[in-house]
Amino acid sequence: MSALLSLHDVTMRFGGLTAVNGVEFAVQEGQIYSLIGPNGAGKTTIFNLISAVLRPTNGRILFDGRDLTKVPTHTLAHLGIARTFQNLAVFKHETVVNNLLVGMHAHLRTDPISAALFFGRARREEIRARERVEEIIDFLEIADIRDHVVGTLSYGQQKKVELGRALAVQPRLLLLDEMVSGMNQEEREDIARFILDLKDELGMTVLMVEHDMGIVMDISDRVCVVNHGRRIAEGTPDEVSVDPAVIEAYLGSKRGAA
Amino acid sequence: MRTGHYKERWSQYVALSDNPTVWAWVAALLAALLIAPVVLDGYSTTLLVSALIAVVGAVGLNVLTGTTGLISLGQAGFLAVGAYTNGVLLVDHHWPVWATLPASGVVAAAVSLVVGIPSLRLKGLYLAITTLAFSFIINHVILYTESVTHGPNGIFVNGAKILGFDVQRGAPLYYLVLGVAVLSVLTALNLARTRIGRAWMAIRDHDVAARVMGIDLVRYKLLAFMVSSFIVGVAGALISLQIRFINIDVFALILSIEAIAFLILGGLGSIGGAILGAIFLSFLPEMIRLAFAMLGGSTASLLGNYLFEIRGMAYGVVIVVFLRWVPDGLIGLWRDIRTYWSNWPLAY
Ligand SMILES: Nc1ncnc2c1ncn2[C@@H]1O[C@H](COP(=O)(O)OP(=O)(O)OP(=O)(O)O)[C@@H](O)[C@H]1O
Ligand SMILES: [Mg+2]
Repeated sequence: MSALLSLHDVTMRFGGLTAVNGVEFAVQEGQIYSLIGPNGAGKTTIFNLISAVLRPTNGRILFDGRDLTKVPTHTLAHLGIARTFQNLAVFKHETVVNNLLVGMHAHLRTDPISAALFFGRARREEIRARERVEEIIDFLEIADIRDHVVGTLSYGQQKKVELGRALAVQPRLLLLDEMVSGMNQEEREDIARFILDLKDELGMTVLMVEHDMGIVMDISDRVCVVNHGRRIAEGTPDEVSVDPAVIEAYLGSKRGAA
Repeated sequence: MRTGHYKERWSQYVALSDNPTVWAWVAALLAALLIAPVVLDGYSTTLLVSALIAVVGAVGLNVLTGTTGLISLGQAGFLAVGAYTNGVLLVDHHWPVWATLPASGVVAAAVSLVVGIPSLRLKGLYLAITTLAFSFIINHVILYTESVTHGPNGIFVNGAKILGFDVQRGAPLYYLVLGVAVLSVLTALNLARTRIGRAWMAIRDHDVAARVMGIDLVRYKLLAFMVSSFIVGVAGALISLQIRFINIDVFALILSIEAIAFLILGGLGSIGGAILGAIFLSFLPEMIRLAFAMLGGSTASLLGNYLFEIRGMAYGVVIVVFLRWVPDGLIGLWRDIRTYWSNWPLAY
């Protein structure tokens, strides 16, 4: 079985700092795959490389047979990859609905002229987009805030909006960077449930960076552990949780399982 | 229902407004605008024409600066390109005005690529300075390509007729300008509720996230430059029709500052704000004049001598005060008042 996403000897240097060092792993279609490691391990950098926001110093990243290190950033959504950001990256002056509609961008075709006239096809396309967005709003249970300006919402709500925006891309591969950080226990459980639903109901593949070990151990199919830019373990949650290198990395950095 | 989320049909979601009260107000406003030149004197009509042209310019700039977040001090340059295109085609090439108006927009849009392409990577202050420089370059080009633009001599713009009406004065000019203003506002509103307008605001709020969502920054920034400049170019053409004589002194830097002031006063990023800001500031000098006239005597004549300086000062004060204390502008104030009343007596 060939993987949906695979990293081959991926290295990223920032000047003298090697943030990612020869990392390899493969995510199969339909998996929930977790990327974990202590602070500064290089997880977000790996996400930035996969989403073509950064270009690696070395290595290849294959998605469905295509090398993501060579495609322009804005084609990612068209290829079927969506992500959320560790630090909020919402469109804060716009409503929840508009944020989600931006996620639909790759699925819409309206050209400037028909947009200016807002007639016929452009209008029908907008109506269809709204239907999709309303589905996501129902799924994430954010109907009560749909017309709110995102910048005025709580941190947890804004993270949900980011998740909704990524879902609006209707991706095959969803990248979630510390989705539940800053959320309370109830919100965390909601998010874990949403992720499982995405996998079970839509067959979506999820790659997530997560510090909440409870969630990682509960819902992941496989886990990759990185430390100082290197992969130190890979396997099922049960395998990595007893791996001496992993225990050493976490105890060494004084970050235990939550 | 005014505040509820419940909608019966999907099409209501994409409507400009599904609130009958709003449509009733819009209809009343349009009716008032339609009969205005009949009931108003010539001077008031002229003021109204200037205000409507300001609205067109503000709505145009808002696409670039308000929606896409690209601060431009090049407004005067784009207005000049539009005005000169209109003047040259009308007077020297005898084009009909229904063709020179869109042509003015097209030429301004094409010229906008000259400043747009090199400044794709610039933001904020750097872009503002670049666009400012652009506007000086335009002035020089106009001055030194004398064979086309008449250089320092300027152009007497005349002979614009539609269906036999002289659309450079009185009611015909007013209706032409009103028509263009309504079209510009509708265009801006429509773009804002499609993927195009949303791509622009996404670039403004978070360009990395915008790219990840599939938005091609180069393409949408250039599109914003072109759409914005098209509308501003048409506004420039309307100015040339109204004032009937153009030279480069007409398109001084103050026009760029004025346009930014419209947006800041109205509320950056909002089309309604751009309209409010343009109308309010267009009438401000007149209101100041009337206020001083009531004081009478020497203050009034003093004011007459310094009207231009006072106007510039007013823009400065508006920009500083609103940026500092009313960042959401007039439209923000209006929204606050409205939510206050719709929640009353449960306010707070
Ligand atoms: N754009 C950049 N320029 C320079 N250094 C960077 C850049 N991005 C990340 N780094 C560095 O690379 C290293 C890895 O950072 P990264 O953000 O990938 O870690 P992380 O695993 O996501 O950590 P955390 O759990 O705290 O989010 C850090 O030392 C960081 O300072
Ligand atoms: Mg990180």
